[in-house]
Parts: sequence; structure tokens; C-alpha cells
Amino acid sequence: MQDGRDMEEEQTVRELSHDEFDPNGTLALIAVYFVILLAMWVFMYFVEFLGNELTVVG
Amino acid sequence: MGSALETGTPSFVDRFPQEASVVKAALTSSFIALFLGAVFGLIQGLHRTDVFRFLDSQYYYTVLTAHGVLMVVSFTIFFLVGIFTWAVVRSLDRPVEDIRYTWAWYGLMVVGTLMAVVAILGGFVPSTELSADVLYTFYAPLQAHPLFYGGLAIFIIGTWLAGADWFRSWYAWKQEHPDERIPLQTFMVLTTMLMWYIATIGIAIAVVGFLLPWSLGLIESVNPLLTRTLFWFWGHPVVYFWLMPAYLLWYTVLPSISGGRLFSDPLARVVFVLFLLLSTPVGIHHQYVDPGIAEGFKLIAMTNTMFLLLPSLLTAFTVVASMEHGARQRGGSGLFGWLRALPWRNPAFTGMALAGLMFAAGGFSGMINAGMNINYLIHNTLWVPGHFHLTVGTAVALTFMAASYWLWPQLTNKPLFSRPIALTQTVVWFVGMALMSNAMHVMGLFGVPRRTAEPQYEGFEFVASFGSITELRMQLALGATLLFISTVLFVSNIALSTGSPTRTGLGQPLSKPLSPAADSPEVLDNLKLWFGIAMVLVVLAYMLPLASIVGDSGVIDRGVSAAPVMIDLLTGLNPVTAVTEAVSRLSVAIVGVVP
Repeated sequence: MQDGRDMEEEQTVRELSHDEFDPNGTLALIAVYFVILLAMWVFMYFVEFLGNELTVVG
Repeated sequence: MGSALETGTPSFVDRFPQEASVVKAALTSSFIALFLGAVFGLIQGLHRTDVFRFLDSQYYYTVLTAHGVLMVVSFTIFFLVGIFTWAVVRSLDRPVEDIRYTWAWYGLMVVGTLMAVVAILGGFVPSTELSADVLYTFYAPLQAHPLFYGGLAIFIIGTWLAGADWFRSWYAWKQEHPDERIPLQTFMVLTTMLMWYIATIGIAIAVVGFLLPWSLGLIESVNPLLTRTLFWFWGHPVVYFWLMPAYLLWYTVLPSISGGRLFSDPLARVVFVLFLLLSTPVGIHHQYVDPGIAEGFKLIAMTNTMFLLLPSLLTAFTVVASMEHGARQRGGSGLFGWLRALPWRNPAFTGMALAGLMFAAGGFSGMINAGMNINYLIHNTLWVPGHFHLTVGTAVALTFMAASYWLWPQLTNKPLFSRPIALTQTVVWFVGMALMSNAMHVMGLFGVPRRTAEPQYEGFEFVASFGSITELRMQLALGATLLFISTVLFVSNIALSTGSPTRTGLGQPLSKPLSPAADSPEVLDNLKLWFGIAMVLVVLAYMLPLASIVGDSGVIDRGVSAAPVMIDLLTGLNPVTAVTEAVSRLSVAIVGVVP
């Protein structure tokens, strides 16, 4: 059994104020996410339009 | 924020014992629903993949209805009312105005749930008149026993009263703090509830105005397109009703668990205002293939839906930036290296982080659902359950479970039974869902239908471009089994925690935002303004489509008959006898349920 306090895992080694913190890592992760989204859209294009026969209506 | 709770010493139950009891009761109700829902989930996962069938397929829809309703109505909303009560009391640092009133709305929600669940489970006993095999969406002309609709109505009334409780707390607090900004957690609760009040107009009219009288035999038929449109008027914003408590936890609890501070309080407020404005006028995107609604209205719904990506992307940025702040305070460095400095051994953190990761994947499949043209590719296929098992099934459910590991000790003064089991549980959920949801998405692309007991057909084989359908079925069944195991681990861990020795000082502090509310314009806190704009947007989005539906086939479409017929049509009876008969049937049904 654990003390709830253990779960906090306070290991702060420095205090970063608003001006000292630039979320560059977040920007990088979101850029990676956008690239994945783009790749998935291209994949869906192949699934939707190239994976099926032409549909002629009328 | 409540200063007394920021010291970390007294826990929530020390400060507010009566409120902690209500929160515990609500969370316990939600965990019971989760467990039952998981049992039905496992049964249907094994049934439709033909791995293990012990029930006749006619009962598949009873199982499916029970799974859907227990998970997305009972589990999620009971957790919501618990966490919202905690958040309001904690952030205003004051008890509720009248604890009897608080217990009253909780009691109503329990009664409503029992009525609906009894009606659904009645489907397993053909000899009874009870049945509600109408699935979570209860589309007419599928008809349920009046007990189901009555229970749903009472449950919703309970949530309305809960919202009034939180508004009442805020109003009382405001009298004593006239010049202060609304504390962030309370702001999130209030904007979510305003969205809920608007959204539930649709379901209230559908259930009380049409479906309940129809199942009681008071009206001969309903207009299925009208009740279906009213359902989705509520059915899409309810998605955000599930999500908003998870967002509240991501914005206000996750930064502290990560060792950091919320990046921006103003951005969080903007996100909740945007959800209030945009959640409701989008419901028609669930009806892209419904005949009877003009394409132009669907296009408007699609445009509004795409705008909803904005608050979700703002959330991705703010929440990840807050985690990064924590990681860098803990000594993390590098463009991606900071990810290693996060507290991955903490189940509360890992659960929420994995939930957020799954939500990012769900964002992609949601964009496919939302696009009018590409939606046709996946409409009514297994892709759609694949999508919402990533969103409500993981982003919401896993966040709730992870947050419980953090909050439960503070509600009980008893430490968690086992942290390693908790950590394992979150990872097993993630792996199980990755398998099940992936299989569902891929099978959906190959045309495998959703809501089908036996999607194996004679003389027809689904063709997979890669792998095989059998392989995907096994993947789905394995995922469902892992998810069930994960649920059992969660529920038993919480249950065993009640046997832990009582301790003091289990309170967990929440850090202050890096950019406080004072950095934002006060108009953000003008709830009347945002509520007014939200109402205007809803009127603009729904007035013409609803007028057109009623104009085409009337408020009641006399050509539609119910399936299955629950109550004999009261032909030949005079209206007074009809009403008396219906009321007596309903009361007999209620008496049968409530001891």
C-alpha cells in the first residue's frame, strides 16, 4: 500500500517562471502530430478513391 | 483556489466530509456501471467475432443497449457529477448550500438509472412485458418500455438539479467575493452545465413530448426523423459532456501531477467558452445519410464541426505545454528528451497521458467522420465504434480511472491498495484499446457493419487488402478481453482500498497557473453573454431543418408503426380512459421496480 503523497513524486529541481519557459518540445510534438495527420489523410485518399471502382450515378 | 486545501495536509474529506460522501457515492455508482458495462462489452465483443457465443443472437441487442447506456450515460455522467461537485466545493472553498438538496439530485439520478436498467435487462426475460432493445440512440420506430423513457427523463432532471446546485454555490460565493474572477474549476463546471441545459432541450422534447407518450399509447405514432434529429441535438453535445470533466482534470490536475503548472488559465477559459458555443449546433453531422434533411443544412453542420477542432487543438497545446513545464522543472531537457523526465511510474499521470495520446488518434478518425463526403465511406461501419472507443472509451474512461487513483485517497483518507496494479491497469487498457480500436477501424474500412450480432454472411466474404478478416476478429476479441481484465483490476483496486488503514495528510495540492485569470479580459467570465450567443447559434443551426422536417411529414407521422409494439394501441378508448390506463400501467411498472 502506498501513501497518496508518494504519488505526487515531487522531484522539482528548478522553478521555471512564465518568462523562462518556452514550450519548444510541445511545438515539436504538435508538428509531428500534424505530419501524421497529413500522412493519414493521404492514406485515406488511397482507400477511398483508389481502392474502389468508379461509381457512376445516373 | 481554496487556500486551506493548497497546503497538502488536510484532504478533501477532512475539510468537507459531507460533500466527500456525495462525491464517493457518485463515483461508486459510476464504477458499478463501468463494471456491468464491461461485462456486456466482453459478451458482445466475443459474440460478434464468433469467438464465444453463449447467448442467442436475438439477445445481442439487449446486451448492446445495456453496454451503451451503462457506459456512456451511467458511468460517465455519475463520474461527472461526482467530479464537478468536488471541483466546485474545492475551488470555491465552501460547502454546498444544502446537503439534503445535493443528496436529492443524486437520489433522482439513481432512481432514473435503476428504472432504465431494469427496462433494458427485462429484454432477457421474454415472458415479461419489459424490454428496451432500442440501443443507446433509441431511434423510433424502435420502441422501449415506458420505464426506460421515464427513467431517462428522471435521470436528466437529476443532472439539471445538480447543475442548479453548483450555480447556487457560485452565486453564494459571488455575494462574498464580488470583485473576484470565477475560480477556474468552477468556471469549467458552469460553462459545461450551460451547454448541457441547451443540449438537453432536444432530448427533453423527444422523450417527454413524443417517445414516452408514444410508448404509453397516448399518441399513435411519432415522426422518426424529428425524434432522431432531436436526439442528435443532444447526442453530439453529450459527447462534450463526457469530455469536459476529462478536460477539467487535464487542465487543473494533470499539470500538478506532472510537477508543473497550467500554462495558461485564459486559454483554458477560451476553450470552455468555445465548447459552450459550438457543441450543440453540429448534431446534424450524425445524420449525413438521413433522407429528409437538405444537403445545405448538413454542410452548415459540417462547417461548425470543423470549427470544433479549434478548442481541441488549443487543448492539445495547453495541456502538453503544462506537462512539458513539469518535465523541465523536474530536470528534463532537449526537444523530446523532456518526455523521459515525466512521472511515468505514477498511474494517475500515465493513465491521463495515455488517454490524451489515444485522443489524438481519435481526433483523426473524428475528422473522417465529420467530412460529409468521406463519411459515406465509413458510415454505419465498425469504424464508428472504433472512433468513439478512442474518445469516450479511452480519452474519457482512462482519464476518469487515472484521476480516481489520485482523488479516491483524498475522499476516504485511505491510501490506494496497490500502485503497481494501478499502473499495470492503465497500460493494459491502452494496449487492449489499441488492439480493439485498430481492428474496428480497419474492419470498418472493409465495410464490416456495426450493430450486427453475426457479421458473417453465407455466400459473401469481406475482403481485407492486408491481413485477413479472421485475424482482425481475433485482434478485436483479444482487445475486448484485455479491456475487461483492466476494468476488473481497476474496480478491485478501488474496492480493496476501502480496507486500507486510515491515514491523515493525504491531501494533494494543485499548482497555480503560470498565466493567471487576471491576464485575460473579464468578458470571458460573462456567462450570460456566452449563453445568449450559444442560444442564437443553436436557433440558426436548427430552426430551418426542424421546420422543414415538420413541414414535410408533420409533428406526428401517422404512417409509422412501432417495433416491437409494447402497448396495444388504445383504439376505441376515450382520452380520459386512455390516460388513466397509461398512468396505471406506468405506476405498476414503477412499483415493480422501487421497493
